[in-house]
Amino acid sequence: MMDPLLRVENLVKEFPGRRSFVDWVRRRPARPVRALDGVSFELRAGEVLALVGESGSGKTTTGNLLMGLLPASEGRVVLAGDDVGRLSGRGLQRLRRRTQMIFQDPYESLNPRMTVADIVAEPLRVHRVTASADELRARVERALTSAGLTPVAAYLRRHPFELSGGQRQRVVIAAALALEPSLIVADEPVSMLDVSIRAEILNLLSALARDQGIAVVMITHDLSTVAAYADRIAVMYLGRIVEHGPTRAVLAHPRHPYAQALLSVVPVPDPTTRRRPVILRGETPDPSRIPSGCRFHPRCPVAFDRCPMVDPPLFEVGPDHEAACLLHEAGGSG
Amino acid sequence: MSVLIEATAPPAAEPARRPWRSFLRHRMGVVGAAMLLIALVVAVAAPLLAPYDPYATVRVNILDIYQAPSGAHLLGTDDGGKDVLSSLIYGARVSLIVGFAAAAIALVIGGLVGIVAGYRGGWIGSLLMRITDFFLVIPDLALQIVLVAIIGPSLGTIILVIGALGWTTTARLVRSQTLTVRERKYVMRARAIGAGDAHILRRHIMPAVLPLMLANMVLVISLAILSESTLAFLGLGDPTVISWGQMLNFAFGRGAVSAGAWWALLPPGFAIVWVVLGTTLLGTALEDALNPRLKRHHLEAPGGDVARDREATPLLPPATDAASPILRVSDLTVEFDSPGGPLRAVDHVSFDLRRGETLGLVGESGSGKTTTVLGILRLLPPGGRVVGGSVWFDGEDLLSLDGRALRSFRWTRLSLVFQGAMNAMNPVRTIGDQIAEAIRLHAPETSKQQAAGRAGDLLERVGIGRRRAGEYPHTYSGGMRQRAMIALALACDPDVIVADEPTTALDVMIQAQILDLLGGIARDFGMGIILVTHDLGVVAQVCDRIVVMYGGEVAEENGAAALFASPQHPYTQQLLLSFPDVAHPDRALRGIPGSPPRLDAMPPGCRFAPRCPHAFDRCAVERPPAYATPAGGRAACFLLDPAEEHRP
Amino acid sequence: MSGRGGYLLRKIGWALVTVAVVITFNFVLFRVLPGDPAKSGLRDPRLTPAAVEALRERFGLDKEVFLDLDGGNPLDTQFVAYIGALSRADLGTSYAFRDQAVSDLIGRALVNTLWLVVPSQFLAIALGVGLGLFAAWRRGRAADVAALTFSLFMWSLPTFFLGIILLVAGANWFGLPTAGRITIGAEFESFTDLAWDVGRHLLLPTLTLTLVLLGEYMLIMRSSVLDVFGEDYILTARAKGLSTYRIIRHHALRNAMLPMVTLIALNLGFTVSGAIQVEAVYSWPGLGALTVGAVGDRDYPVLQGAFLLIAVSVVVANLIAELIYGLLDPRVSEG
Repeated sequence: MMDPLLRVENLVKEFPGRRSFVDWVRRRPARPVRALDGVSFELRAGEVLALVGESGSGKTTTGNLLMGLLPASEGRVVLAGDDVGRLSGRGLQRLRRRTQMIFQDPYESLNPRMTVADIVAEPLRVHRVTASADELRARVERALTSAGLTPVAAYLRRHPFELSGGQRQRVVIAAALALEPSLIVADEPVSMLDVSIRAEILNLLSALARDQGIAVVMITHDLSTVAAYADRIAVMYLGRIVEHGPTRAVLAHPRHPYAQALLSVVPVPDPTTRRRPVILRGETPDPSRIPSGCRFHPRCPVAFDRCPMVDPPLFEVGPDHEAACLLHEAGGSG
Repeated sequence: MSVLIEATAPPAAEPARRPWRSFLRHRMGVVGAAMLLIALVVAVAAPLLAPYDPYATVRVNILDIYQAPSGAHLLGTDDGGKDVLSSLIYGARVSLIVGFAAAAIALVIGGLVGIVAGYRGGWIGSLLMRITDFFLVIPDLALQIVLVAIIGPSLGTIILVIGALGWTTTARLVRSQTLTVRERKYVMRARAIGAGDAHILRRHIMPAVLPLMLANMVLVISLAILSESTLAFLGLGDPTVISWGQMLNFAFGRGAVSAGAWWALLPPGFAIVWVVLGTTLLGTALEDALNPRLKRHHLEAPGGDVARDREATPLLPPATDAASPILRVSDLTVEFDSPGGPLRAVDHVSFDLRRGETLGLVGESGSGKTTTVLGILRLLPPGGRVVGGSVWFDGEDLLSLDGRALRSFRWTRLSLVFQGAMNAMNPVRTIGDQIAEAIRLHAPETSKQQAAGRAGDLLERVGIGRRRAGEYPHTYSGGMRQRAMIALALACDPDVIVADEPTTALDVMIQAQILDLLGGIARDFGMGIILVTHDLGVVAQVCDRIVVMYGGEVAEENGAAALFASPQHPYTQQLLLSFPDVAHPDRALRGIPGSPPRLDAMPPGCRFAPRCPHAFDRCAVERPPAYATPAGGRAACFLLDPAEEHRP
Repeated sequence: MSGRGGYLLRKIGWALVTVAVVITFNFVLFRVLPGDPAKSGLRDPRLTPAAVEALRERFGLDKEVFLDLDGGNPLDTQFVAYIGALSRADLGTSYAFRDQAVSDLIGRALVNTLWLVVPSQFLAIALGVGLGLFAAWRRGRAADVAALTFSLFMWSLPTFFLGIILLVAGANWFGLPTAGRITIGAEFESFTDLAWDVGRHLLLPTLTLTLVLLGEYMLIMRSSVLDVFGEDYILTARAKGLSTYRIIRHHALRNAMLPMVTLIALNLGFTVSGAIQVEAVYSWPGLGALTVGAVGDRDYPVLQGAFLLIAVSVVVANLIAELIYGLLDPRVSEG
């Protein structure tokens, strides 16, 4: 069994809070915002992990930490044996070559003044990968081909405003592929595209993982598409992974009440489906006021007396499938 | 098996929106540039143009002072007997030299401060901005006077002082632009791949900032010229050079007014106006061209939003009994003005809404669904116009209503829920207040307390609670704002609510809450709802009937169950196939190749033909009308033409 | 910290810091820069060395500038003396107006300037708001184009030049006085007569300043209103069935005034510059005229005092505007 390419261990990220005037007068300290409260997972080369959650779940912060854009408050991110937090200088530069990020907004992700060729070549130039102009061009063309933008010659001189949303996102992917990374973090890469265009991008990412052995972390809130590309799902709530496992298993038999509720309300394009949606009341609490015990208990439809007091770890609920709920504490129901 | 669909051929290159073209369109800028150019030419060619040399010492006779314009002196003489015209011409030199030199200094300082403050941020940035704010607060003329008085009025001093105090607006501008670019995703991407500051500044920040600095510099030049002339007028000019302000200082201070010597007063003043006006026009035009502020405008268009010559069909109003539709849209056609001619965004769209029914209006971007409801609601933006068709609401032709009749119709029969974006409600008024406003507008006899009470009731109904009525929109979360919009829409007990993408930006759980709320309201009040969305899952869940739009037309219409079970139009079929279903995770993801047609490049025949897997020759040339389908409902596709032989 | 209280405290704090910096800046400017004014006063070759020494002692120029570290009281310095004097409202004595206290001079001048600036400011704001709103409402049409053209010209026309033109026109066509605050040598029987005379002298200066400010404020208001017209809540208001008048009155106006308050505050320097020029042209005996006169007379104590007062007034006016804004905008909370 290969060693995992990426290992995230107990990642915590805290942001300093803001004190209100009343707090200042009463000399109360500001409450920090705990965006990530102990996140752990592993990823192998060629595997696609979907990090699923709503706003306030911490999924975007996780992506930023994986990329080294923010330092972790506690815990570590280990990529191919290197602790990301410990790297600096040349080591950090090498890391940068191995991980790439794709953002949500295809209209903002590209500098409107640069041509497609310049955009895709930028990572190569920044890392001074090659001095030869021919080799540079060859690599740019290779990346564009992998991203499905062919005939390549038709795209090189174009500017972003001449391209459709789907094509722009492909350019972003091509730029990400230029350095032949081992890990790609995609933060909601298709949420701003029309539904009929999303498939091609998602399929592309899935194919890249499979064919080129790139590990992909897909950050998304859209449960309906995960099955098509993700090998594993991790469901996040308020800075913690509350359930994770193989995609099919989690979708077919969600074990955590939050995951169950979430799956029950995802709209399904079939009016004959009979479901009993579990519509939770209220909204996700502020990450500066994480509830005691199990963080989900105030909204949980099946919470019981121990839930406000005990913060459950992940319990095994199936092969490689875990859920952080006291209902699944060793032995079963509480 | 995954289906990797390659991107189709790139679209034909759009004419690049190069700044030059929009600049030339700005006549203002051209005029300004011309004015400035003339001044430059005059300054440079002064020795050739001026009839006399104003710097030469001349023996003056008392009779020479303040002579009126004549052949020898086209603009008369000044208080020293010198030719006014020559002084005027040479004066251009000083003004322009000071203007350009001081602006250059201000630009360099301001640019540096702005970039460092914007890019570095942190305490350096804050400190720099504090310093900038400090200099902004200090009144510049007062400080200029003090500095020049202390150091001594020489041309060099004046240039330095004006430049050293004039960088503040440039700094602010540069800083804000640097910040904006720094936050752009493409800069974050560059940083994520390890690009250093030098690379980001050179490749991303500077190209975005320099053009703005250039435009700003021109405006700073105009300010500098004004400053110089003001200082000179106040007696702080360099006494060894002739400038327009200096001329005015001498003339005014030495009796030109009482001597009636207008020729000594007006020309220098107008010369200043000429140069400053020219630079201001040029600078404003440059700024506009580089940073066009495309602002929407939501007030009524003065010309009205319904074309006078609209072809209204049908001519007779439909029946208004309980069984007939409450809303009947017939052949609605909407056009927008554009530089290349009118663009048709909605083309002969027809559908009905029955009482108490929930209708889904489904389409992707560019389908025209939002424009359709805006047309129905008479809320088109300026430039948009209904050019054909009719909209019957319970026997009334909405399109022929105007003024007071239209206003009293609004909200009481038909109301609207937008996306609950931050500014969908006025941020400086309380939520309760804005709901009460709608109530009292349409029922003026309602007292303030009654209206407030009813607003509270509505907020309770939507799950916010009456206690939060006195709060402002920015204290509400996204989901709550959407509920507030719903409460507002209910304020006057309408028969129909139109909800335009009400849940698009919301989390899936909140979306479920809002849809549940809408469904409950429809049930409890027997209300009709038109739900505009791109999400097939949502319409499957809540809608009774569905209208699918593509390229500004209705592609298909049917009851929800029938549409999903047996879609007839190829677009509907493709759309359904491409819509992911969490209950069927094994289905491969597919899309529809190509992209929706652009308004200015509509296919001549069926709009969907270029992307349709079943298209044949007739489809490219003729537009299909709506045919009845075996599954009930209608679809606009030749495949359903009973006379068509070319069927699968 | 956040919250409205925090906002107010922060603004007041910064204003105090700014005033402190202004005072220090003022001190440094006049003591340390080349062309030390007191020294130049001492360069009169007719003075004997003993007289020079005596003068130096009298003006306190023999002390250290900031901190005296050579023994004795470390605070016995020019700077501390300056602060001390300020706290007693002692701004020194004028060089030009023999032995008149600077504070008296600028006090009187300040009152005159206020008589000019306050009515002009109010008129300009009132008219600017109204006309700017009208121009925005009629965007693109004749009225708007006229308004924009007017603003453009006001911007390009130096204030002093406008003053000259109006002065000539006013004197020749309306017989209005052209200088000063009151007619020299006139006798006044009653207060009303005096007020009438002052009023006649004030008319043209006020008109000039108002026109100049009006151009600027109208432009600001127009731009602010146009921004508001593009906001979503205007569409909501229209959808509710509000008439255009009601939309403007209950939604657009209030929201457009907020940035207007800030922008007027930012442009206070413009008001000062306008006032200085108007006073110079009309010889209106306000702070501006005093300042310009002090330059000609090399009367540095007056110059220093006047500049200090002008700068501090603007800081205070700015603070007031920011406080007003903080009270009006419910969204104010973050720093």
